[in-house]
Amino acid sequence: MEPGSTPGRFRNSEAANGLFMVSPPAIYAVLLLAAPLIAMVLYSLMVDSKVGLSSGLTFDNYLKVWTGRIDQALMIRSLTVSAMVTLVTVLLAYPVAYFVSFHVKPEKKSMWLFLITIPFWTSYLIRVFLWKVILGYNGVINSGLMSIGIIDEPLTIINYSLGSMIMTLAHAYAAFAILPIFVSLEKIDRSFLEAGQDLGESKFRTFIRVTLPLSMPGVIAAVLIVFIPTIGDYVTPELIGGGKLPMIANRIEAIMLKQNDKALGSAIAMTAMLIVALVSIVFILLNRRFLRGQSK
Amino acid sequence: MTTEKSNMIEFRDVHKYYGDYHALRGINATIRAGEFFSLLGPSGCGKTTLLRTIAGFEDISSGAVMIDGKNMANVPANVRPTNMVFQSYAIFPHLTVEENVGFGLRRDPRSKEEKAMAVAEALEMVGLKGYGKRAAHALSGGQRQRVALARALILKPKVLLLDEPLSALDKKMREQMQVELIKLQRQVGITFILVTHDQEEALVMSDRIAVMFEGQIAQLADPETLYRRPASRKVADFIGTMNFLPAQILSDSGATVEVEAAGFGRMSLSPDQVMGSPSAEGATIGLRPETLTILFEGQAATDREVLGTVEEVVYYGDMTYYDVKLDGASSPMRLSMRNVPGRPVLDRGAKARLGWSPGAVVLFR
Repeated sequence: MEPGSTPGRFRNSEAANGLFMVSPPAIYAVLLLAAPLIAMVLYSLMVDSKVGLSSGLTFDNYLKVWTGRIDQALMIRSLTVSAMVTLVTVLLAYPVAYFVSFHVKPEKKSMWLFLITIPFWTSYLIRVFLWKVILGYNGVINSGLMSIGIIDEPLTIINYSLGSMIMTLAHAYAAFAILPIFVSLEKIDRSFLEAGQDLGESKFRTFIRVTLPLSMPGVIAAVLIVFIPTIGDYVTPELIGGGKLPMIANRIEAIMLKQNDKALGSAIAMTAMLIVALVSIVFILLNRRFLRGQSK
Repeated sequence: MTTEKSNMIEFRDVHKYYGDYHALRGINATIRAGEFFSLLGPSGCGKTTLLRTIAGFEDISSGAVMIDGKNMANVPANVRPTNMVFQSYAIFPHLTVEENVGFGLRRDPRSKEEKAMAVAEALEMVGLKGYGKRAAHALSGGQRQRVALARALILKPKVLLLDEPLSALDKKMREQMQVELIKLQRQVGITFILVTHDQEEALVMSDRIAVMFEGQIAQLADPETLYRRPASRKVADFIGTMNFLPAQILSDSGATVEVEAAGFGRMSLSPDQVMGSPSAEGATIGLRPETLTILFEGQAATDREVLGTVEEVVYYGDMTYYDVKLDGASSPMRLSMRNVPGRPVLDRGAKARLGWSPGAVVLFR
């Protein structure tokens, strides 16, 4: 083909090169993410009976989910737990990130970050199990307290409770919250803090008026990173909650696998995804508001 | 000025160590109220550190920093009567222009409307009228600097500190801002302290300049004295260009010093032209390029005259720089001539008569 002709030019163009480079992950994403998602959407619009999935499309499943007492309650519990986890995680992560960014010597920062990520070398499942060992009915805390005679029988408040679930999840996602907040704090020009004090504000007031707003993009990123996966968490309610405090993921598992109702299960999953998406959009819009003022 | 000015800043034997590094080595100086003062020196000389000790961003290791008669030891930055224009301007990116300018007014007892008026006035003063609602990140470098100025001046500080405020601007903008800063200082009457490594900027803007090297003040004087009578070779070299020639001291009567230098011959200098105390090392005389003039045909020397050969010619448009080797001297002298209509530019190798005056000579010993 002549070098000047259109297909030849395309083959050599930067766009073609880019498409070629991006195609393996793109194909991977379409096959493993988009295709199952479309299948789920289709399932959720069908009716599952013993004979098999119906061919007609209907919104019955969604109506059942949105009006169902159990589904509503579990969805609310999931939202509450993940909101609490997010709040606890970000509130605890911020001081850590702040300390590393502002009070650790520059040459020691990477070591601190390394130390922070060490717990994450262990699998999530094992870490949750370890929390069960610590918080459980016959766990470290209860047996410890009993052996020194502070309590006579195991505390039930620390196991199989929402509190222990929140504690476990907050620990599991701590590093994911610390890192984005740390990055946003690192990006703050230190002369802003001096300027704040120079203009008459105390260190604390400067933090409130300058540091905190400038680190909001990191905080919002942390909120999203913690909120999105925790709302669909399956392991912690099962192990720490002892199956007595199921969240929406446990409900989906029960409907999909135990009751073998793929259609209804898909509808719950789609609903959960929709709610997560809505919450995320709100935060992304918030983030954009903060980011707008900061691009140079 | 006829009125006696009081002292605004006083440094009393200020030392500052960073670990083993001795950043400020016994600074003693006073800065008068209402003057435009510059701290001038190469990077790493401690000028910014010294400025930051006034603002309260650096603790001093020993000595005292006084502002308006009060010792500033243990006085935090946020309650000092100083405001700073940062090198990076430090304009808060999450706020608008007017929020930036009004940042320091939070505890001001005035009403909201009065504060808004003050902000508008401050913006007008720096030539940014109507920019209040703009986002800070949408401003150019020059505009950011104006916002930084307005934000500091609105608080009516006793001292305005400027940390290399013009270094980020291009040449045209810089020259324009120099003039504006001088006008602004006259208008508000606040003491301005400028840190700069640009000797020209310091000469243009300042009432007085402290030249700093390696944590010490080498000379503190008005621009003219600094230029015409530099206290050491180092100062002379840092401020403008100066020709140096080895010289021999023939006699020193106290009232006059007799000196001989190759090419120039004998000259007698008055004590104010003699810098430093007698030392075993050889003496040097210094001459600024513009104190040497090429005498063209028909021109007579106003004082003394020497002969030489043009070795290098650099044409600058308004000026021509020549390197001329004097008969009997070993190294060439740099001199500058204004190019006026009808005056030829000499070629390399041409013979030239130079006019000079012993009064323009400085002796370093």
